[in-house]
Amino acid sequence: MSEHLAVLPVLLPLLAAPICFLLRNRIAAMGTAIAVCWVTFVAGVVLLRTVVTTGAPAIYELGGWSADVGIVYHVDTLAAFVVVLVSSLGAVVLTFAPQSIAKEIPKEKHHFFAALYLLSMAGLLGIAVTGDLFNVFVFLEISSLSTYALISLGQDRRALTATFRYLILGTVGATFILIGTGLMYQMTGTLNMAEMAAHIRETEGVRTVLVAIAFLTAGIGLKMALFPLHAWLPNAYCYAPSSVTAFVAATSTKVSVYVLIRWIYTIFGTQGPGSMSGVVVDLVLPAMAISGMFIASTVAIFQTNVKRLLAFSSVAQIGYMALGVSLVSESGLTAGIAHLFNHALTKGGLFLAMGCIAYRIGSVQLADMRGLGRRMPVTMFLWVLGGLGLIGVPCTAGFVSKWYLVRAALEQDALYLAVIILLSSLLAVIYVWRVIETAYFQEPPEGKDEVTEAPLSLLIPTAVLIGASIYFGLFTEWSADVAGLAARELLGVVR
Amino acid sequence: MREVKILRVVSAKTLLPFILLFALYVQFHGDFGPGGGFQAGVIFGAGLILHALVFGLNESRRVIPEWVIESAAAVGVLIYGGVGVVAMLKGGKFLEYGVLDAHDRVHGQHTGLILIELGVGVTVSAVMLAIYGALAGRGRLST
Amino acid sequence: MTSEMAMILALVLPLVAAGLSFVIRSAPNVRDACSLAVGVALLGVVISLVPTVMDGGRPEIVLFEIFEGLPIAFRLEPLGMLFLLVVATLWVITTCYAIGYMRGHHEVNQSRFFGCFGLAIFASAGAALAGNMLTLFFFYELLTLSTYPLVTHHQNEKAKRGGRIYLGILISTSIAMLLLAVIWTYVIAGTLDFREGGILAGKAEGPMVIVLLALYAFGTGKAALMPFHRWLPAAMVAPTPVSALLHAVAVVKVGVFTVLKVVIYIFGIGFLTDTKASVWLMWAAATTILLGSLVAMTKDNLKERLAYSTVSQLGYIVLGAALASQWGIIGSGMHIAMHAVGKITLFFAAGAIYVAAHKTQVSQLRGIGRSMPFTMTAYSLGAISVIGLPPFGGAWSKWYLALGAAEAGQAILVGVLMVSSLLNIWYLMPITMNAFFVPPDEGPAYPPIKEAPLFCVVPLCLTALGSLALFFCAEPIYRLLLPLVPGAGGGG
Repeated sequence: MSEHLAVLPVLLPLLAAPICFLLRNRIAAMGTAIAVCWVTFVAGVVLLRTVVTTGAPAIYELGGWSADVGIVYHVDTLAAFVVVLVSSLGAVVLTFAPQSIAKEIPKEKHHFFAALYLLSMAGLLGIAVTGDLFNVFVFLEISSLSTYALISLGQDRRALTATFRYLILGTVGATFILIGTGLMYQMTGTLNMAEMAAHIRETEGVRTVLVAIAFLTAGIGLKMALFPLHAWLPNAYCYAPSSVTAFVAATSTKVSVYVLIRWIYTIFGTQGPGSMSGVVVDLVLPAMAISGMFIASTVAIFQTNVKRLLAFSSVAQIGYMALGVSLVSESGLTAGIAHLFNHALTKGGLFLAMGCIAYRIGSVQLADMRGLGRRMPVTMFLWVLGGLGLIGVPCTAGFVSKWYLVRAALEQDALYLAVIILLSSLLAVIYVWRVIETAYFQEPPEGKDEVTEAPLSLLIPTAVLIGASIYFGLFTEWSADVAGLAARELLGVVR
Repeated sequence: MREVKILRVVSAKTLLPFILLFALYVQFHGDFGPGGGFQAGVIFGAGLILHALVFGLNESRRVIPEWVIESAAAVGVLIYGGVGVVAMLKGGKFLEYGVLDAHDRVHGQHTGLILIELGVGVTVSAVMLAIYGALAGRGRLST
Repeated sequence: MTSEMAMILALVLPLVAAGLSFVIRSAPNVRDACSLAVGVALLGVVISLVPTVMDGGRPEIVLFEIFEGLPIAFRLEPLGMLFLLVVATLWVITTCYAIGYMRGHHEVNQSRFFGCFGLAIFASAGAALAGNMLTLFFFYELLTLSTYPLVTHHQNEKAKRGGRIYLGILISTSIAMLLLAVIWTYVIAGTLDFREGGILAGKAEGPMVIVLLALYAFGTGKAALMPFHRWLPAAMVAPTPVSALLHAVAVVKVGVFTVLKVVIYIFGIGFLTDTKASVWLMWAAATTILLGSLVAMTKDNLKERLAYSTVSQLGYIVLGAALASQWGIIGSGMHIAMHAVGKITLFFAAGAIYVAAHKTQVSQLRGIGRSMPFTMTAYSLGAISVIGLPPFGGAWSKWYLALGAAEAGQAILVGVLMVSSLLNIWYLMPITMNAFFVPPDEGPAYPPIKEAPLFCVVPLCLTALGSLALFFCAEPIYRLLLPLVPGAGGGG
């Protein structure tokens, strides 16, 4: 089976999705989905290990067709890392889901949920492994369409308008990406990213390519919710079912960042005369990233709905990733890539904790969380740990990525950038502490005496993610170190 | 609509079999000429939508129940993926049809292609029907 | 037992105490006995380490790498040894005191209290043993976070506000400045190890050194250098044992300890003397000393007055570090110990008064010495030590600091030290006078003795005697600290 390793992570959820749908039985469908997710995760880990230990990308020609005529899966360290990210988060969140959706989604739609979830995951994994730009678009659509449906399953009727907004903006983004892809195909005569990169030098300064760059940047920016293209994100996160929010927040935008890294570093390259992504990297990305870091964090401070608060925090955190990517240095890229994973763990864990809270008190409003520190001590403790991770306190994964990011800024003698990064992370202190103070220092509202701790089936997945975010704050061999390896690969330091 | 006999007889009863047959032709001839699963699926679905238009959605759903449509959509995907997996099990890559026939790679290609196009056709026609149902039924029939 | 084993034990024991406190909720007696036993064990372990360090041993442990070439590592050196010794000794005593206080006061959530207490001690021990700046930074932040629940123990509006200032200042200074300084140092020097002679010499120059030093000095918010001192009085909303151990010993001392470590092992004394980069810090510290004392005089709340006194005393230690000379460093190091013992006595006394008589304001304390003679005697001894008069420990550290200032040719700084001592007398001694020589505002002139519980009084008498003993036992501390200063005949 080992020669099929590169295709397995996509294939398993993709084929399991219709099976779950056909099963129609709630328990059987969810059971199958969870099992498949975990098997996918194992496959992903084996894939990453193989790629890292052999030092060469895993290449898989679909249907046996070579790159010039067919689609090739090209799994380098970065791709394998993203595969592990998506599959691990997907598996843990889906394990959380059965109990959580029991309260949030009508029972007869559970098999539907399982199928959509697997499809979305398959799409995200497909984006990571494929080496074909058009294929990226296809998988992007697979994951996006299923995500729209997943979000619309939310209890609140506003979930529908949120979905519609996401649908429109997401489609615009996807269309832009498609236009960019088309233009690139026209200029280079290939859709394979590696070959595109080989031909890119010949198109130096051609206006078509510049237009393609613009379309790709805008399209991907929309998909990754880079400020100010984030308008779809807060409501979508806010009104989706808890487990959907956790999954989407942890994986979807991260994979879009991955696409950004792919086209900047793999296709266009950043050095030499062929580098045409210059203006994007030097100006557009940092400007968007920094304004996002400040504005989105500031907006987060004023939210009264904690899921929305976390959503705005996500927009800010995307800024850190984009900033890291835009620094074009080993530590900068390491910071960006490591933060993909670290933030996925932290934010996934936080949204799962919100799921626990929603399960018990049926609300995610800050006002309803008063006194929760005493009623749901374990959940709130996990929330606090996750919040510390957002701030980037030492011993949390968030610290590791912040370290690399500040280091990258200082290595380029950009002291002001380092100061900006650290100052903006102080904003996180404020919004995290607002929740903590509400939960621990205020008396619980009247008539909510019966609130108790969340059931174990919800707590354990939450604890796993939060625990992992602490673990990877101390032991970075499989997070930041791999991210560093991926960064060196992308920059061509080692091949 | 029921009172308009001409419509019912001419369009539905007369045309429908031909539409469906044509869909099947496009489906299976796709191997040699223009056509294939997508087009065939659309034509097939369009035929059934015509039926629903003329006789009403309820009548249509009596002929093809909701669960059949939904299952068909899933089954089509499974056929497609399943062919790929069979190829993998026979020692090839995913979707490498050549290995499906032990003696002749070209035969294998034909077999594989016809099978996956069948999968595509089934899914596309089912999804056409599902979309029409969702729009026409205004959620009444959606699960 | 090897030294490495002992170091690991010194880290693990407080964690064990914390864990036990969280687990044994239902049996307070067992829980507190465990805490105490672990505390005594820790003290034993720490004392067993002293001979090794005295003989020039520098045991090291490298745990695991977080970043490439940047491990969590521990290395025992004289300053850390001294600090560890102070923390371990005072932890035992404070645990006794806390048991008495918390029970005498019927506090709730005692398990959480003792658990976080253990965590804070763990963080302090880790900081004392830290072998590189990254490790120190980790434990520094852990200390901030683990003490937050202690500061806000009462979970009321006042605690929330105090906690906000406490955490706000400590976290924002450490993230915005200290972390920046640490990463910057790493980028410049390529390492963060604490090495004799510093790691920055020859790699940084000009104004950059000053900026970096400023980032370190102000970024270490726990050192309470003005204007980042506001958290210290704000943290006085905590129960008194917390104020005592954490805000006279652990937290603030980790702050100045960090500054000293940075000066000695990151910049290097010689480097700072050569570049004169630390001159401004002397003046910043001198300002803090004077302003702290002046503000203390205006405070009527006893704990707040003590808090500002601490701010001022921390200035002494930073001043010694900024002098970057032999006597300055030794004086600073010594002052960590001397001030800790003296100040904890004062806080204990404040807490005992609160438990026994429910009084918090200085103006209410007239005649209290007649009903609480032991407490107030101990208070007086502690006060004299903090002021720096012989025969108490505080005299030595001030002596060395003044020597250091004189050696650096800073006559004004010597003057500042003297003036500040006078101010100390001004705001600490009237309390003693009023307590003993003025009759109480109400009731009989000689009321019956009504002391705090024994668990409170014995510890504070012990620390008072300790500050007396330190006057006569300062020589070993001197010898311990001598190797910190190259060329002072101590080797190293």
